[in-house]
Order: sequence, then structure tokens, then C-alpha cells
Amino acid sequence: MKILMLTWEYPPFIVGGLGMACYGLFKMLAELGVTIKMILPTNEAVFFEIATPEDADFPLAKEENGEPYRRDPLRFFPTFQVTFEESAYATIRETLTEVVLELALNTQKETQIPDEVIERLTYILSQGNHLLQRVNHYTKNVLELAKKISFDLIHAHDWLTYPAGLFLKRRFKKPLVVHLHATEFDRALGYGHPIIHEIEYLGLNYADRAIAVSNYTKSIAQEHYKVPEEKIRVVHNGFTAKALVPKKIKKFKEPVILFLGRLTPQKGPTIFLEIAKKVLERGVKARFVIAGAGEMERELMLEASSLGIGTYIMFTGFLTRQEVEEALSMSDILVMPSVSEPFGIVALEAMHFGCALILSKQSGASEVIENAYKVDFWDIDKMVELIIELVTNPERLRFIQERVREEVKKFTWRKPAEEVFKIYQELLI
Amino acid sequence: MLYLIFYFQVHQPFRVSKYSFFDIGTTKSYFDEELNRYIFNKVSEKCYLPANNLFKELILASEGRFKISYSITGTFLEQAKLYRPEVFESFQELMKTGGVELIAETYYHSLASIFDLDEFIEQVGAHLETIERDFGYIPRVFRNTELIYFDKLSDVLLNFPQIKTILIEGADRILMGDSPLYPRLSYNHVHLLLLKHYKLSDDIAFRFSDRGWAEYPLRAETYVQWIKDLMLSEREGRNLYLGLFMDYETFGEHQWKETGIFEFIRKVIELILEEPYIRFIFPSEAYKTLNYSPKGLSVPTPTSWADTERDLSAWLSNPLQWNAMKTVFDFLKKAKEKNYSWLIPILKKLTTSDHFYYMCIKYFQDGDVHKYFSPYDLPENAYKYFMNILADIEAKLED
Repeated sequence: MKILMLTWEYPPFIVGGLGMACYGLFKMLAELGVTIKMILPTNEAVFFEIATPEDADFPLAKEENGEPYRRDPLRFFPTFQVTFEESAYATIRETLTEVVLELALNTQKETQIPDEVIERLTYILSQGNHLLQRVNHYTKNVLELAKKISFDLIHAHDWLTYPAGLFLKRRFKKPLVVHLHATEFDRALGYGHPIIHEIEYLGLNYADRAIAVSNYTKSIAQEHYKVPEEKIRVVHNGFTAKALVPKKIKKFKEPVILFLGRLTPQKGPTIFLEIAKKVLERGVKARFVIAGAGEMERELMLEASSLGIGTYIMFTGFLTRQEVEEALSMSDILVMPSVSEPFGIVALEAMHFGCALILSKQSGASEVIENAYKVDFWDIDKMVELIIELVTNPERLRFIQERVREEVKKFTWRKPAEEVFKIYQELLI
Repeated sequence: MLYLIFYFQVHQPFRVSKYSFFDIGTTKSYFDEELNRYIFNKVSEKCYLPANNLFKELILASEGRFKISYSITGTFLEQAKLYRPEVFESFQELMKTGGVELIAETYYHSLASIFDLDEFIEQVGAHLETIERDFGYIPRVFRNTELIYFDKLSDVLLNFPQIKTILIEGADRILMGDSPLYPRLSYNHVHLLLLKHYKLSDDIAFRFSDRGWAEYPLRAETYVQWIKDLMLSEREGRNLYLGLFMDYETFGEHQWKETGIFEFIRKVIELILEEPYIRFIFPSEAYKTLNYSPKGLSVPTPTSWADTERDLSAWLSNPLQWNAMKTVFDFLKKAKEKNYSWLIPILKKLTTSDHFYYMCIKYFQDGDVHKYFSPYDLPENAYKYFMNILADIEAKLED
């Protein structure tokens, strides 16, 4: 079984949640006998082959089936952030409603992509927007390369690769699976960029199967994009431990409470800051660490420092992969107060490093993890109480830390990979 | 008669390392030795050595009629001895001409006067001792960090009876339309206050090489004419005192030698020496030459020479600066209580105002100036490095 994988991230080049999820999933799929041909946003026209689990660690760059690609190293597009332009609430609503009505008439079993969709996508990608230009570049690259690659099925991860997936499906008449790691609704906390919404809509509805990383994300896809129930499946993420034996280090005398993630509204760093403020006001000795970079850094720093609490709220700035692990190994409690979190792989990583968890209920991770406190993201007082209880009760904290270290062992990528494999089989047989 | 008082600020801070969160608890050094050495050497080449030579030559040639004054910080002297002893010796040489007066300030160029008056007295005491030891000189004039001044400062300086005169910023806010050319008395009538003429000072310090400035390129003749014009307004024969106060690094560093700054200042001085009604004096001589009783001046809230606001906002306008400064003075107090003598000088070096200047996020023109002087790419990073260092020190304080 040969799968053409379209993804924007893969370690070590760009390491976000998506990259880590792809790594774990692909490695396990390879173990199940799947051959993966992965196309990344490289300037060079190459794809990467993963045929064995070992290949997942160092995928081989190739220009076409057969000979490996010689020129190294590969240059990736510079990283960028999606910027949200003016909200276009009405436009999306109208657009979505129109297409939904159209789709309702089309009840064929195998999803066909009508000409209008292709025309619309071509038009969207031809626009001047910086980000769309990159998507367009990627899409062209993929279409060109695909001619030289043999594959049975296309698997596209997140909206950046959906246009390429749709074009491929139509041209090569191969089934398309789209994977939904995050929606524009999560990133924008509500309505975001209208074109991204439209691409997500088209990808989810014209693919043959859609995979959501949690029931939470599935419900967003169904509610906002009207994806039919029979087409969408939930496959929760797993976790691959990079550090085999996580060590615990003591950097501060006080217990360390960690926020780890991009400093964007989606991840709820202001909520974390509010919690820190309330805990410290109660005279509880704890060290709060805000780890990550992002557009809200200055705002958060100004707010934190205005409390005049010296070094009790610390900022790390951007972290390398190694520093992420270091941050986790020095922390006692991880708070993930995300306002909208499709999954939140960081929760599993934190478990591996023995951190007690306080998770927002608005996250995919909270659906599957047992040993975690699950709180609505807005319930700051509850989270404050939980932290104070844990900090003032070291034995209980240690007990929970032991439990999570045990529990995390069950979150391997085997089960998720098997579920994905099953979906491939359904479409290919 | 118009008396011209040149005063130059000579200072270098101990810039901190890019000390990351993950460096806490390691042995990484707090101060960026390499960067500090590099900057000191660079500025020595561009400014200190050539400027000292120029002024020495002019003093000797004028047979004592050309006079200047300096305030040299303790952190500068430490770095000079460490990185470039010839610069230190060059200042000693300059002193021997007799044409130089040295001014007292806080050893660490800090804002101790705002946060901790006991520490302020310690730092001024340390500076006085250093100046006496290194130059055999007892200053009688004081200038606070960045010309920060407020009424209470005059009271605190009663601890140092040798200090008779204070240099301050001639800010519009306190002068309220009065001329900065007339010295004033502190509100308690103890100290004579000499005011900086910010227009003529900044013409040299900031605008000299600005191509967008209407007066560019400024000729020495024009500048001297502006000075002479100042005398037109005085009709009662009162002596005028023109305070031209600026960073010493103006010569060759802020204004590169290619701008002609050295030729300009030489020409200005030579022209003024020919003027019968203009004379150079030391700040401490203002007292003796006054031919009228100066008016009192009350400055209830702090003024300074920094930025367009001329207040404390360059160092204390955002909570990052405030939290950082408050924390460093807190820790310093703790270190003194516990008598951790090895931590005290480190914390004192961290009180230097430059660290907080780098954390400033004011916009527009002043933001550019802050950026020019900052060794870090962002104010947020300056704050992070500083607070990480403090967190490391905190652990040691609690041992």
C-alpha cells in the first residue's frame, strides 16, 4: 500500500504539534507495512520515502521512484504565521450555505469533485496573498511530482495541503483522505480567514474520508462545515517518546507550574497569567513559567511584570526541541488552558515527563486522558484551587505524577495507526 | 560676561549576557565580557583617545583659559583599567593639565536616588573615594545619573558637605519660561543649580549630523554666533552661565569623525577664546563669579536629560522596567542584610540605568535612540535576560 502524504511540517525542519503527530503516525504506519511518499514544502522538487520505521527518523529525499536525490541539504520555506485579515463573517456564511445546499443534492457514494470546485480553488490560489502564494507553489510542486510517483491513495494533513489533495484526486482518480489536526475556528477563536474556511470546507467535503483528531474537532467540522457523519472518523493522537528515560531536574526551590505553547489567544496564555496572579496573591510559593513565543509576548510580559512579583513569573521565549524537554523535566504541573484545542499533544509529552495535568475541557486530549484535572478554560478559580491543593500537598502531587507516568505508556501510535490503516483499506478495497 | 561650562559624561555599563531561562543554575557568567571589551575598545578608538588628545592640546594651547569638566562613572573606570589601561592613563594625563574638573555621581550610574536612598549615599560615597584614589581629586560638584534631579536630592546630598553645586537639566517644565542661563538655588537654599541649555547642547549632541535638520551642515561660526546672541537679552549686566552638557561619546561615537565633529568643536573653542565677553569656567567656579543673588527653584518631581519627556520615562515608563528595578534593589538589600559580599558588587552593577533603558518600549524617535544603544534585539529579550540572572541570584541569596 503506497500512500502519498501531503504535510507542511515534519521534524526536524518545522516542529509544531502537526510535525510531531505526523512523525509518530508515519513511523507506525511504516511498521504496518505502508510505504509513505511524503511531499513537504521544499523549494526542491523532491519527495521523501518512508518504507520502514527507521526511515521515519531520516526520510530519504527522492526525485522520482527509484534513485535517491543527491543534493543536500534541503531548503525549506521560511516559517510564517497566518495573519488574519479583516473578518468576513457574512461572506463565509453565504458561501458556506450556498455550497452546502449544492452538496445536499449530490448524494453519490464516492465523492466526485465538480468542475466548479476546481475552478474556485484555482481562483483562490491565484490571489496575491503571501500565504496563498506559498500554498499555490506547494500545490504546483505536488502536481508536478505526482506524475513521477506511484501511489494508491492521497492523505493530506491540514488545510495548507488540501488544495493539492483535491487536485490530485481529480486528476489521478485516487481516493483522498484529509486529516484535520486543527481548524481555522481553533486558530482564530471564532471566524477566521474566509479563504482558509473555504479551503477547509472544500477539503473536508470533497475528500473520501476525513479524520479528526478528537470528538471535539469532529463536532466543529460537523457543526460549521456540515461534514456528513458517515464520512468523518475520529482518530486520537498518540505519543512517541524521544527521550527514553525522562529525568526530573530541580531548578527552583518552589514547585514549577508550566504553560507550554505558542503565545496566541487560542492557547489561553492570559488565562494562565490570571491563574498565576491569583495563586501568588494567596501567598502560595510557586514559580510560573510561560514557555513559548508568539504575538502576545509583549502584552503578557507587561501584564505579568505589572504585578511586581519579581521572578515568580518567568518567560522563556522561543524554545528548541531540547529546551521543550528541559522545561517539561523541571516542571511539576502543566496547565493547558486552551480556549480551543483540537488535541494538544503537549499534554501527553508532559505526562511522559511526570507532570500533573490541568487541562481545559475544550481540548481533544481531555477526552482520552484519565489522570488529569479537566476544567472549563474560563473556570480560573477552579484551576487556582487545584494548583493550591497540589502545591500544598506534595504527597498527592507525587502520587498523581506517578499515575500519569504510568498512564502515558498506553498512548502509543499503534492504535491510531491501525485505525488509519483500516480507513485506507475501506477506500482501496 | 557669559560663562561657558562644558561638562561631558563618561560612562560604560557592564552589559549582561544573553542569559536564557535554561542558563539559570548553570555557571554561565552574568556579564558579557566579550561584548563589553569589544565596545570599550571600539569607543576608545573612536572617541576616548582622540577626544582626550584634542582637549588636552586645546587646554595646553590656551594656557589654562579653556576648561572642561567630566563625570566619569565607576563602571567606566573599572572597564578602562581592565580592557584599555591607556584610556585610564589618558584621563589621568588630562587631569594633570589643570584644565579639568571632575564631578561626583553614583559609582554605578544608577537610579538609586529613586529607589533606595541609603544605597544612593553608598554609591556616591564609593564614587568620591574612587575619584580621590585614581585622580587625587575631591569633587565639589554633583550630577546625578542622567541629570535626574528633584528637591529631595538636595537634602540627601547634605551627607556630602563638600558638594556645593548640582548640574541639572534646564527642562521647560521647571523653568516655566525662565532662561536656563541664570543659575538657581535649590529649594532649601543649600546648593547652586547649574542648568543645561538643552537647545545648544543637543544641537551638538543629537542634531549635528542630521541631514534633515534645517541648520545642517552646522558651521562653527554660526554656532558661536548663536552663543553670542544669548547675551543680547541681558540688559542689567548680570553674568550668564551657558551649560553645554552632553555625553562624551558625542565626539567620534554618536557623531562619527567623518561628520567633522572634531574639527567643529576645535573651531568653536578657538573662536570662543577670541571673544572678549565669553569665558570658560569650571562648574565649581560659578559660585564665585555670580554678581547677583540667584532665585530659588523648586523641582518636586524628577527631571532628567533623557528623551523628549525629560523625566524618568526612559527607565521607568513600563512595568518591565519597574519590576526589574524593584527586584534588583530588593535583592541588593537582602544581600546586604545577609552580608553576601560577593553578590553585592554584582547586584550593584545590575543597578546601572542602561539595563532598564534597553527595556524601554516608547515609540517614535526616542524608541530609535533606545534601539541604537541597545545590544539586544528586543526590549522583551533585555527583560528576559535580566530577570533570568536575577532568578539565578535569588537562589544563591536563599542558600
